[in-house]
Amino acid sequence: MIEVKNLVRTFNSGDRTIKPVNDVSFELGQGTLASIVGKSGSGKSTLLSLLGALDKPTSGDVVVNGVSLASMPDAKLTEYRRRDIGFVFQQFNLIPNLSAVDNVMLPMEFAGIRKAARLQRAKELLVQVQLDPDKHARRINRLSGGEQQRVAIARALANEPKLILADEPTGNLDEQTGDHIIELLSSLSRDHNTTILVVTHDRALANKTDRRFRLQQGNLTEEPVHRPVVSASA
Amino acid sequence: MSVLARSVGNAFRNKVRTAAVVAVLAVAIGLALAMLVANQAVAAKVQELNASVGTVLTVNPAGGQGFEGGGEPLTAEQAATAAAVPNVSAVVGTQSLRLRNASEAAAQAASGTGAGPGGWQGGPGGQAAASLTTSLTAAIDAGTLGGRNQAVNGTTGTATQPDRSLPVTATGIGAEVDTTGKVLTITDGTGLGDYTAESSSALLGTTLAEKNSLTVGSTFTITDQTYTVAGLFDAGTTFGNNAVYVTLPTAQTLAGLPGELASMIVTVDSLENVASTKTALETALGTDKADVTQGQNLETALSSLGSVKNISLIAFIAALGTAGLIILLIMVMLVRERRREIGVLKAIGAPNRTIGLQFVLEALVLAALGSAVGAAIASFASGGIASALISTNSTSTTAAPTTGRGAAMAGAAWGPGLPGGGTFPRGEAGPFGGAAQLLTSVTASASPGVIAAGIGSVFGVAIIGALVPALLTARIRPIEVLRGE
Ligand SMILES: Nc1ncnc2c1ncn2[C@@H]1O[C@H](COP(=O)(O)OP(=O)(O)OP(=O)(O)O)[C@@H](O)[C@H]1O
Ligand SMILES: [Mg+2]
Repeated sequence: MIEVKNLVRTFNSGDRTIKPVNDVSFELGQGTLASIVGKSGSGKSTLLSLLGALDKPTSGDVVVNGVSLASMPDAKLTEYRRRDIGFVFQQFNLIPNLSAVDNVMLPMEFAGIRKAARLQRAKELLVQVQLDPDKHARRINRLSGGEQQRVAIARALANEPKLILADEPTGNLDEQTGDHIIELLSSLSRDHNTTILVVTHDRALANKTDRRFRLQQGNLTEEPVHRPVVSASA
Repeated sequence: MSVLARSVGNAFRNKVRTAAVVAVLAVAIGLALAMLVANQAVAAKVQELNASVGTVLTVNPAGGQGFEGGGEPLTAEQAATAAAVPNVSAVVGTQSLRLRNASEAAAQAASGTGAGPGGWQGGPGGQAAASLTTSLTAAIDAGTLGGRNQAVNGTTGTATQPDRSLPVTATGIGAEVDTTGKVLTITDGTGLGDYTAESSSALLGTTLAEKNSLTVGSTFTITDQTYTVAGLFDAGTTFGNNAVYVTLPTAQTLAGLPGELASMIVTVDSLENVASTKTALETALGTDKADVTQGQNLETALSSLGSVKNISLIAFIAALGTAGLIILLIMVMLVRERRREIGVLKAIGAPNRTIGLQFVLEALVLAALGSAVGAAIASFASGGIASALISTNSTSTTAAPTTGRGAAMAGAAWGPGLPGGGTFPRGEAGPFGGAAQLLTSVTASASPGVIAAGIGSVFGVAIIGALVPALLTARIRPIEVLRGE
């Protein structure tokens, strides 16, 4: 469903040119839960931003359900981000002066969903990510890092995207909450056929995915997944 | 959470800054509104004056302008000549008299101060008007105005002057019109009937009649001759009502100048023909014989008001522009500051127009707050601003007492019928009282319509000011989310 073809992204920093994404190609079928691991600065976030149409590649293309992002005009790319993509940012990027519910409602507002419907869905999503109901109306800048991370995940799920790109979604969570988020993501890929690509340093998470990629100096390689026996039978 | 709710929320995100921005905006908007109110008030006054002047031209003897006297008096033949000029619909001759209260005149003559201050004993260089005695007492006290004008006139006023009232103007008119050519508003009694024949009937201004406890049918005297009050009129101004009208031949006889006219009031058939008729009249009568003036020297007052109008208009535009600029700069700053947040909105799929609209609405919230405070400021300040503008301007006009500029304004205001023959000495209370009256009658009241129009233009300017920064948001790329703050 998502096809990455010879993707390159270079940055010019001073007189040096860096290539955090250097000729990356892979394919992911619909409903796959995949992970990307790699050292800090290896280009994981850069790759994710290209898949999510936040950034444009220096060369190469991303083809989603047969449609190439390179050929899309800006307005179509905006629509692609709004309808097809759920992005969980490494730094959450929530709107600090809005409440948790309002943040989750934002993508639905842009999608033109009625107010009552989006309020109800936003509350359901916040319950799913285990945010205390009494914190739903609280402003983002009065929530803890882990709480903000869960609001960011809820926001990414708001428009029922076909592809979720999550940059370290469990990085700020305790083990128990992290496990719950992992379970939530795998149930989405399993039950809703959502394609999910997570960047993670979390071994537990990486081992629960269907496929695992490693990014090293801009080069992507696939590694075998060592699935725990318990999980494999599930 | 709608776009509007988000915009309102964003406007209050930094409360201290919002308060500061609103305060600065309020000053600019308040100034703009006050200037607009002043401008509208003056424009209304100018229109009113123009309408009152309308199609009337005044002919005075050449050289008589500014009450400096001189020149040959106008005659009945010239009136006939003027009437024959194309587009002239009516010519009314006038003769003016100055009436002094008999007992006051006697007292003053006895005290010996009468001839001293140039106040109203025949102006410098003025042709001494035959001052006639009357049983009437003027409705206006000389009071401060008289004293002030003597000072302005350049002569030394005596501190020991007895209290006295101003003279009363008596005007002989050839038709039932006042000295500006306007039909007299008779409030009681009747007119004088045949204005071309001598009669012992007179029309009195309401305040003058009241002061002397006269009603229709009462009698009074001018140089020991008895006149009957045929009617009362209301000229609308205090000075205008301190007057007596008699028929033209009566005034000519009283003045001892049969057949002579102090001035002619020429009515032109339409406003468009006024300018050409003025030229035609000048040619027909000869500029060496007659001065033809439009609007009884209202030009001075009008140009004074006109400059106030222009100043206030320019100030309105400048203040409005300042408000727009403040909004522009604030919004540019906000867009820069929220670059990353705009990136977030784009990353989660917000269309450019939604983001742009959000910023325009935020600017409008600031403009609305600024307008609310600014309107309050304007409603307190506009009266003061308008009168400050006008008094500055009228001072500069009247402070130039070269041949009757100040006096000309006076004529405009209260009784342009004072013809050139020097009937009224310059520096009379009339000129200044009249000018003040004219100009202070521009009341700058903050009418809701004008304020609404002003706030409308503030919003227009706010939208324009916010549009540039709003369009800048379109250039921000979603990848900004990954950049540090
Ligand atoms: N706009 C940019 N200009 C220049 N260099 C950039 C830019 N964005 C990213 N880089 C560089 O590209 C490299 C990859 O960055 P990226 O954020 O993709 O790393 P990452 O794998 O997500 O790291 P981490 O695990 O720490 O989040 C880094 O060396 C970074 O400095
Ligand atoms: Mg990263």
